[in-house]
Amino acid sequence: MHEISLVRNIFRTLEEEFPGRVEQVRTIRLKVGLLSNVQPILMQNAFAAVLEDEPRYAAAALEVEVLPVLIQCEACGNTTTVQQYKFVCTCGTPSKNIVQGEELMISQVVFEDQ
Amino acid sequence: MNTSKPKSNRAPVGSVQCENTTLNLLKANDFVAKAIRERLPEMLVINICSSPGSGKTTLMQETGKRLAGKLNMAVLVGDPETERDAVRMREVGINALQIVTGGMCHIEAQMVLQALDHINLEGVDLLFIENVGNLVCPAAFDLGEDYRVTVLACTEGDDKPKKYPRMFLTSELMVVSKADLLPYVPFSVDAVTKDARDVNPDIEVMAISSLKGQGIDEWCSWLLGKVQEKKEALVTA
Repeated sequence: MHEISLVRNIFRTLEEEFPGRVEQVRTIRLKVGLLSNVQPILMQNAFAAVLEDEPRYAAAALEVEVLPVLIQCEACGNTTTVQQYKFVCTCGTPSKNIVQGEELMISQVVFEDQ
Repeated sequence: MNTSKPKSNRAPVGSVQCENTTLNLLKANDFVAKAIRERLPEMLVINICSSPGSGKTTLMQETGKRLAGKLNMAVLVGDPETERDAVRMREVGINALQIVTGGMCHIEAQMVLQALDHINLEGVDLLFIENVGNLVCPAAFDLGEDYRVTVLACTEGDDKPKKYPRMFLTSELMVVSKADLLPYVPFSVDAVTKDARDVNPDIEVMAISSLKGQGIDEWCSWLLGKVQEKKEALVTA
């Protein structure tokens, strides 16, 4: 439901971070944690929709990588992948120490070299 | 498979330049949430979330009545349209301000920050932010709160927590509301507690009825305790 505003946010963030270079962007790589509730296909659709409105970005492509939720146990130190939202370490101790899974970020931007 | 790159107008990629980044797309909201915390260091701020119709506003009305004279309470309430909730609360003497989100399905920190300029918070001990009825989107937006409370009515399913995990994961307390209806519905407080604790082992659970009074004393004690804790933490800091 927020994918369009997320896509607009992506371009706004890129304009701030790389002023004057955004038209040279060829690939934008996103890392989104499973807890962020971002659906890659919806992001791609929203991306295509925004590009129709903003032809100057038309050469850019979006790649979305979804990261699993990882918790690190305070008792035994192990990192476990959370399955089906059960926040319990393999040693049996419940844990909410989320070390991965809440991200919503641009992890890499690929520019055409000029 | 659908991709968004139109191959026809892609320039030939002779060499490319990669920039590795960690540009957090939610940083704007987090930044404002931090500003809210810094602006209200003495006040206990509670973000109340639930599905539409779970009884948030009614709980606010009852809480306002019970805490009158014990502490100074204010409420910011969000809805896509109308000021109905704020009006209901003001009718029972609560200092309430409506945030009309204009169709947005959740409150963002920016809206709270702007609202703070339009409500009298002098001497307020406890500020509730009654979120838009929605168990999905509000989970992702820090509003500068100290505690997040999710209300779940016993007329809803007792299997809801795992369906909306992020909401229950980020809440410290689940309030099961409309407890006066428990004899008439298939809802099990034990089942919903187990479901919520599977997602968030630390979540507290309380069953209340705003209309009949069950559990309201416990709820008010919880609130008074948390207000006190925050004030004491400030003194020792």
